[in-house]
Amino acid sequence: EGTVLKMQAAWGGGIFLENAQSYVDRVHAMAGDALKIDLLPVNSVVKTSQMQDAVHRGVLDAAHYVPAYWYSKSKTASLFGTGPCFGWSSQEVLGWVNYGGGQELFDELMASLGLNVVSFFNSPMPAQPLGWFKEEIKDASQMDGLKYRTVGLAADVLLEMGMSVVQLPGGEIQPAMKSGLIDAAEFNNPTSDRDFGMQDVSKHYHLASFHQSQEFFEVTFNKDKYEALPAELQAILKYASEAENSNFYWHNTKRYADDLKTLRDEQGVNVYRTPDSVMSAQLDAWDIVVDRISGEDAFFAKVIDSQKAYAENVMDYLNLNQPDYKLAYAHYFG
Amino acid sequence: MEKLVYAIEGLSLWVGRAFGWCILILTLSVSYEVFVRYVLNAPTVWAFDMMVQMYGALFLMAGPYALAQDAHVRGDVLYRLFSIRWQARVDFLLYLLFFFPGMIALFWYGWEIASDSWRYKEVSWNSPARIQIYFFKTLIPAAGLLLMLQGLAELMRCWKAMKTGVWMERLDDVKETEDMLMHINEPKF
Amino acid sequence: MTNPEVAILMLCLFILLVLLGFPIAFTLLAMGVGFGYYAYYQGGIETFSDIFNNNIFYLLNQNTYSVMENDTLVAIPLFLFMGYVVERANIVDRLFYSLYMAARNLPGSLAIAALLTCAVFSTASGIVGAVVTLMGLLAYPAMAKANYDKSFASGVICAGGTLGILIPPSIMLIVYAAIAELSPLRLYAAAVFPGLLLAGLYIVYVMIRVWINPAIAPKPNLDDIPPRRKIYLDLLISFVPLTVLIMLVLGSILGGLATPAEAAAMGALGGLVLAFLYRSLTWLKVKESVFLTAKATAMVCWLFVGSWTFASVFSYLGGHDLISDWVVGMNLEPWQFLVMAQLIIFFLGWPLEWSEILIIFVPIFLPMLEVFGVNPYFFAMLVALNLQTSFLTPPMAMSAYYLKGVLKKQIELMEIFRGIIPYLGIVILCMVLMYQFPGIALWFPDYLFGVYVP
Ligand code: NA
Ligand code: NA
Repeated sequence: EGTVLKMQAAWGGGIFLENAQSYVDRVHAMAGDALKIDLLPVNSVVKTSQMQDAVHRGVLDAAHYVPAYWYSKSKTASLFGTGPCFGWSSQEVLGWVNYGGGQELFDELMASLGLNVVSFFNSPMPAQPLGWFKEEIKDASQMDGLKYRTVGLAADVLLEMGMSVVQLPGGEIQPAMKSGLIDAAEFNNPTSDRDFGMQDVSKHYHLASFHQSQEFFEVTFNKDKYEALPAELQAILKYASEAENSNFYWHNTKRYADDLKTLRDEQGVNVYRTPDSVMSAQLDAWDIVVDRISGEDAFFAKVIDSQKAYAENVMDYLNLNQPDYKLAYAHYFG
Repeated sequence: MEKLVYAIEGLSLWVGRAFGWCILILTLSVSYEVFVRYVLNAPTVWAFDMMVQMYGALFLMAGPYALAQDAHVRGDVLYRLFSIRWQARVDFLLYLLFFFPGMIALFWYGWEIASDSWRYKEVSWNSPARIQIYFFKTLIPAAGLLLMLQGLAELMRCWKAMKTGVWMERLDDVKETEDMLMHINEPKF
Repeated sequence: MTNPEVAILMLCLFILLVLLGFPIAFTLLAMGVGFGYYAYYQGGIETFSDIFNNNIFYLLNQNTYSVMENDTLVAIPLFLFMGYVVERANIVDRLFYSLYMAARNLPGSLAIAALLTCAVFSTASGIVGAVVTLMGLLAYPAMAKANYDKSFASGVICAGGTLGILIPPSIMLIVYAAIAELSPLRLYAAAVFPGLLLAGLYIVYVMIRVWINPAIAPKPNLDDIPPRRKIYLDLLISFVPLTVLIMLVLGSILGGLATPAEAAAMGALGGLVLAFLYRSLTWLKVKESVFLTAKATAMVCWLFVGSWTFASVFSYLGGHDLISDWVVGMNLEPWQFLVMAQLIIFFLGWPLEWSEILIIFVPIFLPMLEVFGVNPYFFAMLVALNLQTSFLTPPMAMSAYYLKGVLKKQIELMEIFRGIIPYLGIVILCMVLMYQFPGIALWFPDYLFGVYVP
């Protein structure tokens, strides 16, 4: 008789639940009868904001979500995925987690919060689109005073840029957009945005943004439950996370690309790249936000320093080394 | 015993009514938010969380009040066929079996969760204003305690009804609306 | 006994225990805690304190907090407060009576006026508890006074008040959209015609029923009828304040001013202002509205605390997996799948309430829609119609309980249930019609937003 772990995902359906299932499938394929994960959809046992508490207490054995969901306990949560961009992508932030001291800082934070969890990070999400607008954004000045819907630290950043952040329940984004209660909104990626029906309320979709540019999933386990497992099962949970990291990237980029094409070609959405002036305004806003929080929270500052050191080093190499992919793309596809 | 019952219920009534005023704050603050958003194009960053906390505090702390006024819905298809003595016996048993375990948990474990929340000075998870929620979470053990007290009063009511075959009167509250309507809403032909 | 079987047992036991008449919120909570204790039992109780060492107690607290921080449920006290304020300002009742007068020559005029007022108020509130409660306070005494059959009168209010979850803006559709990751706006658009169709069928039923048996709904005494001019003047006068209020509420949602909760807050404020203008605003009335709101909100929201805990434990035990495996194992045609899914939801609607069905059971069917090639918006509308019945079927007939809650000893629950049964048939008829003519649901959203691309 194998062990059964109850894992709740923060997703009720759509591509992210597929991603959670994909992780679980990998565990099952490797562990055979020795370990089974019962994957429960969003809100099955507890609501999303209570997921980390539930894993900590053992109400759930595990959860599949993003670190932004425990932002209520520490601002540093946002640095695991939805923080400032130091010239890197989520791939490199995950590199920092594994080889730049990120995991150790995470464990230190969990210990200081007294949280009884073990986490693995995987699935480098492409940068989240700036989102859906009423008209094309050609310059940063157009962002001023726009009523925008977003969450987490991204809200602070956009407030610094002079936007008005309107907090809305998720289900009300669309009606609010259609009716003008908000001027713009962001969600996550072309597939989820399309499933959510944003194309019904806006025809102007801007890709590329620094507000949430390097998020990834966190698979978190109750520490006692995890440590009670034999070493080989512990390893399977960890290595399945690494395997799913690659699978996510291959699987999701293809789906996002296909859905972007459907949005553009079949559903009449105008797709743009966000102008550079907006993105550099975002970087300036990030500086203010990061400085302010670093001043209030020493641990936050410590994590920022660690991230900067890693990014400066690794991105220097990558930037020098990577050929101009856009050049080659343009060469073949115009 | 009767005095004690009414003392507890007086407390439930007072707390429930006091938190009832949250609805007025809720109405005004939300209307204010709509006003500043449209007229001044400057939404607040606090109205959303304020709204949620006012609502949460209201329903939670009015729980004992509703219990003291027997306002929680019952599925009384069979229940109302019982004699008062039997109603009281069933209620007495179910208060012990069904009610107290949950309320003790709300008090005891709610306290533990609230003190965790105080330790990391927990804030609202999606608020740019980072509105504190540790006070808000502390309401759970408070409600648990008040509900246990009110449960005790209900047990005493049941005990009395078992002995006498008559339910004690509930405390006077807002005049029943349907009674008023019978008089006020004479068709105006 | 396997864990999923225990979950099914839990469900069956709840259906029995609810009959004992203990407050439902605490019965649900107790079932959740009891079976949760089993689900989280780790063994090894050696000392007294080990008895309390069980994770279910944390789960209960986490669910309680989740109800407290739920931004959708915020609309409940606001709509209730608005309802109480408006009711005390004699606004809705004027509309109700003038509609009654205008419709007096139709069979069952009070019932029709009640249904219409329900539909209008559903538009404003979208919360079943509030509409049933308000109409229970308003229309029922009037019908009782006119010697309407008690069952007939209560059926009208329960069925009419339930329309609120279907006719937009509806909280249920927002919850559904979140669970199924559908567009709430498209769902709203899809619900418009099914909602109107159902309301229309209810009215037709009332007229036919009274035409066959006039004794259940006596016509008003002819001496009481005011002159025609006064009727229309009354209708106009009563419409103006309410129209302003509905404009405030619905207009601010559709016109982009506010979310449903915000609209409700402005509605409540508007109600206070109107009451002031009509010189019926007194400190006493405000105070009473506040206290009544507190009690009613506690009643509705503690039910959520109970049902979420119950639902959590049910799904933790794997109750819904058992049902899911059973459906997939049957090799069905798409229509068979639809009929079966709707039958299951219908029967689940007996012991459960819409939020549990949506949260626990509907997600079981959602992944199957693609397999069977069913349009998710069409399925959503079938579910939304079907969930109307969950309010009306015992033992968990929330509509009946809300009505019973306000009417107290004026009526027996069994009388309410008897009045409700015909409406269950009408809901099913409406579902059959929609199955035959999917355009009822799908034409409007496609017209507004373009054809749905899966
Ligand atoms: Na996002
Ligand atoms: Na039911």
